[in-house]
Amino acid sequence: MPFAAGLWGALQRDLPLLFPQIILIVTATVMLWPGDMFVPKGEKRRWAYVSIFALLAAGLCVAGTPHGLGFSDMFEVDGITKGFQYLVLAAGIITILLSQLQLDAMKEQTVEYYALILFSITGMLFLVGSTDLISIYFSLELMALCIYILVAYFRTQERSIEAGVKYFLLGAFSSGILLFGISLLFAAAGGVTTNLVELNDKLALAPHSSSLLVFTGVLMVLVGFCFKVAAVPFHMWSPDAYDGAPTPITAFMSMAPKAASLAAFLRVFGTGFNGVQSDWMAPLGFVAAASMILGNIAALKQQTMKRLLAYSSIAHVGYMLLGVMSSGVPGGAQAVWLYMLTYLLMQSGAFAIVIFLQGKGEGERIEDFRGLGRTRPLLAFAMMVILLSLAGVPPLVGFFSKFFLFKLAIESGHVTLTVIALLTSAVAAYYYLAVVALMYFKEPAAETAEPRTMGAVTTWVVGLSCALVLLGTCFGAKLLSWAATIV
Amino acid sequence: MIPWYQNLPLWVTFFPLLGALLLLLVPKGQRRTFELGALAITVIDFLMSIPLWVQYDRSSAAVQWVTQMDWIPSLGVKFSIGMDGISLVLVLLTTLLGFISVWCSFTAITERHKEYYIWILVMQFSMMGVFITQDMFLFYLFWELMLVPMYFLIAIWGGPQRLYAAIKLFLYTLSGSVLMLVAILAIYFLQFKTTGHYDMSIASFQAMAATIAAQSHTFQILMALALFVGFAIKVPMFPFHTWLPDAHVEAPTAGSVILAGILLKMGTYGFVRFLLPIVPKATMELMPYFMGLALIGVIYGALVAMIQKDMKKLVAYSSVSHLGLCMLGLFAMNPNGITGGIFQMINHGISTSALFLLVGIVYERRHTRLIAEYGGLSKTMPVYATIFMIMTMSSIGLPGLNGFIGEFAILQGAFQAAPWLAVLATTGIVLGAAYMLWLFQRAMFGPISEVNAKMKDLSAREIAYFMPLVVAAFWIGLYPKPVMDVLRAPVIKLVQQVNPGFYKQEALEAGQRAAAKAGMAAMPMPGAKTEPEEGGN
Repeated sequence: MPFAAGLWGALQRDLPLLFPQIILIVTATVMLWPGDMFVPKGEKRRWAYVSIFALLAAGLCVAGTPHGLGFSDMFEVDGITKGFQYLVLAAGIITILLSQLQLDAMKEQTVEYYALILFSITGMLFLVGSTDLISIYFSLELMALCIYILVAYFRTQERSIEAGVKYFLLGAFSSGILLFGISLLFAAAGGVTTNLVELNDKLALAPHSSSLLVFTGVLMVLVGFCFKVAAVPFHMWSPDAYDGAPTPITAFMSMAPKAASLAAFLRVFGTGFNGVQSDWMAPLGFVAAASMILGNIAALKQQTMKRLLAYSSIAHVGYMLLGVMSSGVPGGAQAVWLYMLTYLLMQSGAFAIVIFLQGKGEGERIEDFRGLGRTRPLLAFAMMVILLSLAGVPPLVGFFSKFFLFKLAIESGHVTLTVIALLTSAVAAYYYLAVVALMYFKEPAAETAEPRTMGAVTTWVVGLSCALVLLGTCFGAKLLSWAATIV
Repeated sequence: MIPWYQNLPLWVTFFPLLGALLLLLVPKGQRRTFELGALAITVIDFLMSIPLWVQYDRSSAAVQWVTQMDWIPSLGVKFSIGMDGISLVLVLLTTLLGFISVWCSFTAITERHKEYYIWILVMQFSMMGVFITQDMFLFYLFWELMLVPMYFLIAIWGGPQRLYAAIKLFLYTLSGSVLMLVAILAIYFLQFKTTGHYDMSIASFQAMAATIAAQSHTFQILMALALFVGFAIKVPMFPFHTWLPDAHVEAPTAGSVILAGILLKMGTYGFVRFLLPIVPKATMELMPYFMGLALIGVIYGALVAMIQKDMKKLVAYSSVSHLGLCMLGLFAMNPNGITGGIFQMINHGISTSALFLLVGIVYERRHTRLIAEYGGLSKTMPVYATIFMIMTMSSIGLPGLNGFIGEFAILQGAFQAAPWLAVLATTGIVLGAAYMLWLFQRAMFGPISEVNAKMKDLSAREIAYFMPLVVAAFWIGLYPKPVMDVLRAPVIKLVQQVNPGFYKQEALEAGQRAAAKAGMAAMPMPGAKTEPEEGGN
């Protein structure tokens, strides 16, 4: 049977590209059944170790995967794929590490939690390498569906469920828009392909009469993606979802899906819609500017740490979209990757601290940071360093990645946007500093909670992130050359 | 083998940071250790900076003691430091005020000693970094880094409105410096376009002046404005000065000393080092407006100072006035004006810091700064009154004291540029004499109240830390030549970069001697004007 033989040959050739994903899928499936039957009820924590092990193995696999294009040109492994796969996997590991404190306290350790994270990460691993609108859509949905459930994971908390439902409804809505946009483009390209490279050629050749079709399609895809990365004006779901979700999942959402969607952003707009730049450059510029301005200004008024970080992450997405717009120049993708990497570093540290302070559940108010400089000087110092780095104060690593990003943005001619970005980052300094001020300049609240120990995991995550943030810029040259070799 | 003193600026800069790390290891609560430790570190740092003064080659305008290492080669960023005469005097001012500000805090700071002295040391480190760096990237790092310790110094140990003042300082300066960053990046890319490689060194930025002058008019003006706003906020010049009185009033004494003495000089230093040499043509064009702002600053600052009821606020507004004068000198763009401007930086650093210290001393004793609360202090505190008088005289520019030298040179320069400038600036000086003398009269003479009669005169420690300032005030006032010598070569180089027309004019008039210099500046720049024309703008 020549067809079967051909299929087998293609599979043999292409399968190595997917080893990391296969490891995760197999692990997650086996964890759910039959694995979970053998683990007694109180010992579900073990799955955390298994998942971390699987993620590490997948990471090693990524390192060994050859570059290549496969599966009817639907999936490609190249520098961008690998670079963002590392980020996603690291975000997964950090999330699982940070989850322990809260899950133990809430007695909510289950196998599903870890399996969902693994599945979601699998979706992201697919997403960052997808070179076809269809495979992009599938992997986006795999990633998002798992996160909807994770957001509503604390099923006894109204907040958590509300967040999950809200996220799900809006997410489904945006998927609809995305899919509609894809179908329009499919039609505009003559109904023959959804592959990004071919699409690019076809769209360039598309007759003038279909230019409105192309424009609408591109715009709808853009809107769909902006929903996923929570860019203004499609951000409404994100503060609620961030606030309601279990805090480790909030951390996860602010790191992994963002990284993966940005990679897809780079690929879709950099490769697929490269020829029709005039259709999306201005709208994307508007979205980026609006995200920076609104994200930073709305963050000024927030009362809870999670909402503050949610709005600040909207602003950071704005900066990264600026990077996407500049990805035409050499090093553009590197800048976005580097920004994401440092953002991941800072977010993991910040969330580790929030999760630790949060302890047993309920909402984490900014007020709870009051006087932290007195009660826990080291923790407060770490938080200060991370916040200053998020604000982009030199010489911390957040400044370095911002600098590199803005440099590219100016190089590719987006001067106005860069000025907006810089000015809004001065606004951002205000709310980050407000937290620092609260930690250092206000007396601690009268009833000091019972002293809790940090736990080795939190200490390590916070310590490592703080140290890297502090010293990152010293190794700027290393970081850049590293980014150049990976991406 | 590089001789040891080759790296001296590096040591002088990083020593406070090392000291801060050392103090970090000492457990909390040992107040004495922190006080003496920080004092020892800053005094050693000061002593280490003296050889710089001795070793400095006064005949050369080149950057000396250059230390350079690759940092981020792909971006053209180097860890590169070095000093010329302008950096040198400012570094010396920093190390001098550094140990004084530590010494004056012994009784004023009553809580959280460890953090306090560590922040002061970090502050000193970052300020010196600003003055010695020869790389734009590094400069920007230090420039921003310095905000963090200052923010903490004000926000923890400041007055009742400290949080407001601290955040205002931070945000104001940050917004200015991000604009500056845009300009830096824009020039950086322009350079890449013309030369084909990335280079962040300050020298290469200065070498870009001609290329920038060939760009579109809007581009030049935007660059000049972005740099101007960034530095003007720090100085602060007239419309951007509102953060200064708040910051000064709320800051602890040492914070005010550092703020007035050194931090503000970073702004003026920025003008000298960046705005003037990098975008001379556009600066020339905008000069009337800049001059106007400087003049408004001189007169407005003096008028506002006159009506203040709070001593510290009065001194703060006098800073606005004095720095306006300093800017006036720099913008005159001739050797006299620029030398005078730099002198004014130093003099302001000496006399205003001393005045802040003096205000701090009575505040420590009485916990009020209202002038109306005092009076007749010369009876109970004669030493205090003497030092107060010396510093008042220095501040209003009495001949024989340091202030005179700077003001004289500035007026000379301003007169050369446009006589009416000098006339208007003189009114500011007259007003300055009025408010300072009036302050002195109200605080020192008149009937003495019962509370004030119990006030103690200066302790030995207080006298001791005033001495260097008094000596410096007299030294510069009576024999300014050594400082002039240090500044001469860099200033001439600067004027050649900025205003080549000036030497051309001088050469025409003076003939032989200046002909050599005119040869160096042979390329006339279209925007460069001769002095009388400029006054007409």
